[in-house]
Amino acid sequence: MVRKRRVEGFLAGAFGLAVTLAIAFVIAIVLIFLLSKQPGKTIYFFFVGPLTNKYYFGNMLNTVIPLVFTGLGIAIAFKSSVFNLGGEGQVYAGSLVVTVICLSLPNTNGYLGGFLALAGGLLAGALLAGLSGFFRMKWGTDELISSFLISGAVALIVNYFITGPLDDPSNSLLATRKVAEQFRLLKIFLPSKLDISSVFAVLTAGVVYILMYYTHWGYEMRMCGLNREFSRYGGINVSTYLVLPMVLSGALHGLAGGVSILGTHHAAVKEFSFGMGWNGIAVALIAKNHPLGVVPAAIFFAYLDAGAKAAMLHSDVTFEIAAIVQSIIFYLITAQALYKFLRHRKRAVA
Amino acid sequence: MSQSSFTFPLIHNSIGIMTPFLLAAIGGLFTELTGMLNIALEGLMLIGAFFSVVFAALTGSLMLGILLGILATMLIAALFASISLYLKANIFISGLATNLLASGLTIVLAFQLFGNKGVIRFENLPKLPVLSIPALDRIPLLGDLFLGHNVLVYISWLCVILAAVVIYRTPFGLRIRGTGLGSATIASLGLNPVGYQFKAILISGFTCGLAGAVLTLKLGAFVPNITSGRGWIALVVIYLGNKTPLGIVIAAFVFGFAESFSNYAQGAINIPADFILAFPYMITVLAMVGYSIWRHYKARA
Repeated sequence: MVRKRRVEGFLAGAFGLAVTLAIAFVIAIVLIFLLSKQPGKTIYFFFVGPLTNKYYFGNMLNTVIPLVFTGLGIAIAFKSSVFNLGGEGQVYAGSLVVTVICLSLPNTNGYLGGFLALAGGLLAGALLAGLSGFFRMKWGTDELISSFLISGAVALIVNYFITGPLDDPSNSLLATRKVAEQFRLLKIFLPSKLDISSVFAVLTAGVVYILMYYTHWGYEMRMCGLNREFSRYGGINVSTYLVLPMVLSGALHGLAGGVSILGTHHAAVKEFSFGMGWNGIAVALIAKNHPLGVVPAAIFFAYLDAGAKAAMLHSDVTFEIAAIVQSIIFYLITAQALYKFLRHRKRAVA
Repeated sequence: MSQSSFTFPLIHNSIGIMTPFLLAAIGGLFTELTGMLNIALEGLMLIGAFFSVVFAALTGSLMLGILLGILATMLIAALFASISLYLKANIFISGLATNLLASGLTIVLAFQLFGNKGVIRFENLPKLPVLSIPALDRIPLLGDLFLGHNVLVYISWLCVILAAVVIYRTPFGLRIRGTGLGSATIASLGLNPVGYQFKAILISGFTCGLAGAVLTLKLGAFVPNITSGRGWIALVVIYLGNKTPLGIVIAAFVFGFAESFSNYAQGAINIPADFILAFPYMITVLAMVGYSIWRHYKARA
């Protein structure tokens, strides 16, 4: 009985999600007809473009990697009812720290140096987000706003380092020097940029799932997320779970920046990671904050982005139509009344 | 800016700079009082910024530009409100969606209308009228504070006074406050709390539209994402202002002063520009944390 109800709930949720995405696609098509002088061509590239060849397809999958990490980071935080809106700065700071560690150890073994660098990036993200969690625990400072503001300041300071002291003068790009060969991650789907960290990203999703659903910590985090007062009454140390989810969330954001450097960019380029933090929130929302849902949600999100980019390259629309379609998905995805309406409709039909 | 004719240009500029914060925060106060965290202030301001300057350039009239800009912002606010209140979406997420929509929509429209995604200059835009009484400008402090500003600055003050009267002296304001304190109470009186929340979001759309107009009409140009976090700072201003109109005026002035100071420092002291740009964010975080520490110990005592 319980299982049957759970299956029904899942199906209703999946149906609701499908309707949401269908509405978003219809709006995308309407937008293209309004904005494009050659709508047929634009629609083709928007929907099919990312799938037309190995290079496009692999590159699309490559952009999934940081989204999985940031999406998981947001899912942990939101599941615990703490709000990390500082993803942008945490990703960017993580990528800078990874780059700096690699640049300062040019002759180290690739595995050791790469590990140290990623650990540093992870730590940078964890510290930044943890700070907001600490303020919240200690004095009740709203972590949603403080994490956003800290991230805003950090992004500008990272900009300073990339364009100032760390800028590579031999290159006209606003970027640091490239990290040494031995730190760069293995490409697994040539000629595209897809690298081995994609496997690592999927494994991380599994680890986060086990952490959240099969461990003591995960249980207590989820309980605090459901009802903090009730958890306190049940003897859970509630203040720990204001900081821990933020720290984990920040750590995953730092990793997202780190693997982007070692896998794709090999150097910290000014503002290269902008959007990864916000998109992580979108991914987590589409996945309903479920760690295993994050991977397909990230693929879907990357597909939308890649489609908009392909349409921009081959036709006459600008990339930002993706943002409009994404905002429509955002709007509808938590529209509970819509879901309820759909569920009733479905029952009436069946 | 006419720095030379004023005794304290730093203070004079603060008044101009604080205006968008003040306007967005005073509208956000209404939504805050009805118990909603309105993070869409940023996006609404951006919509106002874009449409007011575009309509002003198209019609050649500042007045029409501002009015149509406000109208466009209120339309988006109505969309945001309908989805949050009637489709019962999580207001935090629909707020994020509104910000994303505003950023995407303004850039797409800019590209469509002007074929350009960068800075769009409007050459023959009428200038915002400035209240100038040269004889009185030089009065120390009073001249700096009250004279030589553009007309939107004075309109913002009018909005604050109007908001204070509405919130504390009218049945509508009482019900707005009541909705936040306990929507069940309002419902038990036969009133519709969701209706008040809807109106509060529309009011925030009105003031954010005006706040956006201040940004672009003063500059005579539209820059993608010109609001650059001002809506978020306006949210902090509401908290630091203790959710009262007077408190908001003071808090907005502090931020106006911080930004005015960092503009000044950019010219006078040799600090990298990025650090100076980061300064308002850092001040805001410090103020927020300081305020929560103060409140924490006050609650204990």
